[in-house]
Amino acid sequence: MRKPDGKIVLLGDMNVGKTSLLQRYMERRFPDTVSTVGGAFYLKQWRSFNISIWDTAGREQFHGLGSMYCRGATAIILTYDVNYPQSLVELEDRFLSLTDTASTDCLFAIVGNKVDLSEEGTVESLEKEECGPRLAGGNCESPKVPKQVQLEDAVALYKKILKYKMLDEKDVPAAEQMCFETSAKTGHNVDLLFETLFDMVVPMILRQRAQGPPQTVDISSYKPPTRTKSGCCA
Amino acid sequence: MMSTKAFTLVSAVERELLMGDKERVNIECVECCSKNLYVGTSDGFIYHFLLEEKALPAGTATFTATKQLHKHLGFKKPVSELRAASALNRLLVLCDNSITLVNMLSLEPVPSGARIKGAVALALNENPVSGDPFCVEVCIISVKRRTIQVFMVYEDRVQIVREVSTPEQPLAVAVDGHFLCLALTTQYIILNYNTGASQDLFPYCSEEKHPIVKRIGRQEFLLAGPGGLGMFATVAGISQRAPVHWSENVIGAAICFPYVIALDQEFITVHSMLDQQQKQTLPFKEGHILQDFEGRVIVATSKGVYILVPLPLEKQIQDLLASRRVEEALVLAKGARRNIPKEKFQVMYRRILQQAGFIQFAQLQFLEAKELFRSGQLDVRELISLYPFLLPTCSSFTRSHPPLHEYADLNQLTQGDQEKMAKCKRFLMSYLNEVRSTEVANGYKEDIDTALLKLYAEADHDSLLDLLVTENSCLLTDSAAWLEKHKKYFALGLLYHYNNQDTAAVQLWVDIVNGDIQDSTRSDLYEYIVDFLTYSSDQALVWKYADWVLQKSEEIGVQVFTKRPSDEQENSFNPDDILHCLQNYPKALVKYLEHLVIDKRLQKEEYHTHLAVLYLDAVLQHKPSASDKGAEVTETQAKFRRLLQKSDLYRVRFLMEKVQGAGLPMESAILHGKLEEHGKALHILVHELRDFSGAQDYCLWRSEGRDPPYRQQLFHTLLTMYLSPGPSTPELTVAAVDLLNQHAREFDAAQVLQLLPGTWSVQLLCPFLAGAVRDSIHTRRTTQVALGLAKSENLIYKYDKMKLKGSSVRLSDKKLCQMCQNPFREPVFVRYPNGGLVHTHCAASRHTNPSAPSPGTRT
Ligand SMILES: Nc1nc2c(ncn2[C@@H]2O[C@H](COP(=O)(O)OP(=O)(O)OP(=O)(O)O)[C@@H](O)[C@H]2O)c(=O)[nH]1
Ligand SMILES: [Mg+2]
Repeated sequence: MRKPDGKIVLLGDMNVGKTSLLQRYMERRFPDTVSTVGGAFYLKQWRSFNISIWDTAGREQFHGLGSMYCRGATAIILTYDVNYPQSLVELEDRFLSLTDTASTDCLFAIVGNKVDLSEEGTVESLEKEECGPRLAGGNCESPKVPKQVQLEDAVALYKKILKYKMLDEKDVPAAEQMCFETSAKTGHNVDLLFETLFDMVVPMILRQRAQGPPQTVDISSYKPPTRTKSGCCA
Repeated sequence: MMSTKAFTLVSAVERELLMGDKERVNIECVECCSKNLYVGTSDGFIYHFLLEEKALPAGTATFTATKQLHKHLGFKKPVSELRAASALNRLLVLCDNSITLVNMLSLEPVPSGARIKGAVALALNENPVSGDPFCVEVCIISVKRRTIQVFMVYEDRVQIVREVSTPEQPLAVAVDGHFLCLALTTQYIILNYNTGASQDLFPYCSEEKHPIVKRIGRQEFLLAGPGGLGMFATVAGISQRAPVHWSENVIGAAICFPYVIALDQEFITVHSMLDQQQKQTLPFKEGHILQDFEGRVIVATSKGVYILVPLPLEKQIQDLLASRRVEEALVLAKGARRNIPKEKFQVMYRRILQQAGFIQFAQLQFLEAKELFRSGQLDVRELISLYPFLLPTCSSFTRSHPPLHEYADLNQLTQGDQEKMAKCKRFLMSYLNEVRSTEVANGYKEDIDTALLKLYAEADHDSLLDLLVTENSCLLTDSAAWLEKHKKYFALGLLYHYNNQDTAAVQLWVDIVNGDIQDSTRSDLYEYIVDFLTYSSDQALVWKYADWVLQKSEEIGVQVFTKRPSDEQENSFNPDDILHCLQNYPKALVKYLEHLVIDKRLQKEEYHTHLAVLYLDAVLQHKPSASDKGAEVTETQAKFRRLLQKSDLYRVRFLMEKVQGAGLPMESAILHGKLEEHGKALHILVHELRDFSGAQDYCLWRSEGRDPPYRQQLFHTLLTMYLSPGPSTPELTVAAVDLLNQHAREFDAAQVLQLLPGTWSVQLLCPFLAGAVRDSIHTRRTTQVALGLAKSENLIYKYDKMKLKGSSVRLSDKKLCQMCQNPFREPVFVRYPNGGLVHTHCAASRHTNPSAPSPGTRT
């Protein structure tokens, strides 16, 4: 097995469409998915680099695995559902802390998926009014509803992340560049999302190569385990 | 999920062999080290068996265990773990929190009594840090709270090297190098016992779940995670493989590449590490031990020991291929690369790729098939042989054995579906076309090209001709029969030609043109044949078909003689033979003579005369209907005149005889001209034809390349003719004036002036006179300049002469050579620029004798 040169991890609540986004990008289709168990990954050849992309499970049960998946990650895609505001809240509450193990210069992208379900931008297909209210998600033909989460909310979260990471806005890509609204169903912005990230990840890989030994994380620099952030009684 | 058969479960130790009918005794642990199988029981016994493996033809094996010894170590407690250290010939026995070292064969404790006390669990380091081969590194979970100890174990002593405390109580341990992988109470961690640094992996709940930590290879561990996951983690704390999904209550896990095996209450499940998918499930009740020992997987219930015998990878792969699971088969095969010797692997892998290729092919997945054939370096003939009749009858090919696929031929594969068949054929066409010029074709070029030819011919494909006119290896007999069968006669001709059978080729094409056989490939086949013969160096062939081509068309047919490549030097055609042949084809004859005379410029009188005569005949033939001068007549006539003018080789008098009285004044004039009979010629032009510009041209033509007086003479003759007394018409006068004004320089003005009638005005002859005067003045001036120049040149020479005479050297007895100081005996001497005289021999020696005085430098 060839060792990947860089790692991108998809995080986000269950049912927001992480697996679907990855399938759309890697296999150019939108198949029925089942809720992910544990995790899965793809290898993507980008120029001369092998980038591994990890799809994680959003279910609470697998939450504990997140830190390990994120360890040493070059980029993390935080995914929410534009029609389900809680999924954005969860990113901050539940998923952000998992990224502590990521590479120190890790990139963050915030992705609002399932834009095809909301009316904005696609007003012309607003005809199926008789269809009653449905649960969010699913690929059933839901009626178009106004978008519940605005892009500004994602931008705000991005800025919060920078604060959390104690990063200067000047040193990282701008929020506008890193917040996406996608649809795995239609493919809207999906290529853009992944390929923007790949292009940003490549120079990071080169930088990491130029610095210390590749693939070995210097674990002596980590804090002793007694002081982990993931304490549940906080 | 379709299943694979990766393992078979066989019994190793029957329960009677162990404890007979002691109902309450259970198996607590097992250890296997090459042929030695050890079993530890709940009543404190260790059993030693020898395992004998017998391979079965189906790829599995049976085992028989023969008991060697059993021994009680004197503890009341069960034997909870056994570990062999074969390098030390020791078995480590964990019993009652104490690890005893016993001899592997006698099971006697070491005489030194060395042991490790206070151990709850132990792990051997399979990637030891010390290089000492007579030492094993053992890690124990201590009875002390939250403590791990590391020991070096020698043949008869043990030594503690490290003690580390852990943040929580450890429940299970595995070790690799300096890295401990630990299951603590609430989480898994990696702990470097050398530096003390630790890293969280992920949390789990020990109250709900029995932890598993299992080293699976260099720096990598397998852990039981939440939700029935088998998680992979490296010593760096990252996951490089996706997890496998087990059931919730896994008791034990083992590795047998490329599979992860897990045991729960009901089943043994097998997952592939390559694609994370579950491959096999074996029902197995009441199992409680699952471990792998050097690749051997052992499961045990509390009463019996069993072995999971892996099916040979090749068998597994073949099974996958048989159920058309190409992707999985390839993944498995690729994954096996590290476990199989390189040579063997390559042969195996290539074969699998080829088989996979045929599976894709049968599903009409041609792109995939092609890629697999290519990477599997398939002998193309395997593929060709699927198509009936495509391989040449003489081909020595036999399909590989065992076969790469199950199909007899394409008919069977497509079940007679014509559309599928056509698709397959199109694929083969493009595939063969692609590979025929690559190294894949080496050695079977004939088979490939012949097959390709057959496909093209059958499909009426344009590339058939391209194939035949470029370098190819089509086999003659096979291809010829096939082309004939498909009525591709033109192509067949090309094939004959390629095989140096031009006669057969041409005959075939001639038959097509004649309508004896049908093939509409080329509508211009006749021209093609002419062209073919033109470029054929086979004279006999050209002669054979010369009459045929000429009969079809004289003009085109004659090209076989006239358009022959100019570089055709040796054994080229004899023109006389050709002329003889062309006797019956007048048009062709003219063309050929033109070719000889005009194109090739052959300087042979006969050809020139013959051509002139033929032209004349043609001109005369059309003469009767002179009233309507057809364009063709004038064309021939023009050619005739051009020949008469340009050629100096034809027999002038002979032609003159023929032309005279034939009413061809212009031609007569030209012929007179050739005979230098300018008077007669000009008379015809001026008086018969009244063609004054023709007369002028005549003068120019005939005086070409002659000296000026000749030219003047000629022009004067013409002028005189214009001015000659007689019924002088104004026409002639005008002609005379024009002649003078336009060709002033061709006349001697003085002579002309005497000829001119006095009545002519100066105005009329102004251009002529002005030119003449200017010319005359110019001549005078240039002559004067030349005279002046000649005079001064003469003066210069005179001066030089005077100078030379003035400084003459007088040689006398008194003059001595400046070098040797002797007088001169001969009238030869050398004079230096300073005037000094020396003997010639002295001058010569001066150059070879540098010490001699040099008179040249003296002043
Ligand atoms: N309309 C619409 N439906 C989507 C889109 N993306 C995903 N879905 C649907 O949302 C559901 C969940 O998608 P998944 O990709 O399985 O979600 P996930 O984030 O991987 O979920 P977990 O694996 O449980 O964490 C599926 O039914 C998808 O078909 C989208 O862009 N538009
Ligand atoms: Mg998923």
